[in-house]
Amino acid sequence: MNAWLQAGAVLITGLGLVAAAAAWRLTHSVRAALAVLLDFLTAAGLLRLAGEPSWDSTIVAAAVIALRKLLGASLHLSSANRTTPGGARPLSPGR
Amino acid sequence: MASSRTKGVVGSAKGNDTCMILSVETLPESTLRDAIGLLVRLIESAGALIIFIGAVWAFVQFVRAGLRGRGKVAGFNRIRLSLGQFLVLGLEFQLAGDVLRTAVAPSFAEIGQLAAIAAIRTALNYFLGREIAQERAEIERSETTPPPRAKGLPT
Repeated sequence: MNAWLQAGAVLITGLGLVAAAAAWRLTHSVRAALAVLLDFLTAAGLLRLAGEPSWDSTIVAAAVIALRKLLGASLHLSSANRTTPGGARPLSPGR
Repeated sequence: MASSRTKGVVGSAKGNDTCMILSVETLPESTLRDAIGLLVRLIESAGALIIFIGAVWAFVQFVRAGLRGRGKVAGFNRIRLSLGQFLVLGLEFQLAGDVLRTAVAPSFAEIGQLAAIAAIRTALNYFLGREIAQERAEIERSETTPPPRAKGLPT
């Protein structure tokens, strides 16, 4: 069963790359494409955790999911900064 | 002394210090372990299948939407919301498998691993639930807000 799950996880990772490209084409936003890719990577990590995982695979899945949360939070923060009037503004060229 | 009603009573008498070990064999532990192992496999397979189907479905939707062209961001958010719901449903199944696994706890190492996996899944379930609520609120907000009118066009 573990071999099937590993194969499924790899397949989902590949699908995620293509879906992220499609999302970028749809929205023309790197942020949205990255969010889609992270969703698919989470699904792949969940598949890897099913079955009979070893300590190594558990730690790797936890690291991927933590990284995903970190990136997602930073993306959310950057978009909030762009939409909030008092937030950080893009740097203007020096005069 | 020993009751004849109970089957499987093993008694060992040594003089006056009689040590009696009672073991009622209603359900052998090995049978219970096998049954729970089978159930856990079934439930975890169902969870994995749901996650896989959700990912493939979302992939097809994203590619279809991407081929149709840009400008349909609401549809994009809806697909992400559905993918998140599939992931949460699969996670619920996998958590059910974890709960079943606790019925048989063979060793400390396995209990530790089970705790780690259950903690990861529970945390992920919580965060995914929050993300889904946010996405849903965003979609509802975009649906209730009227689209801005183009300037300079006759009405």
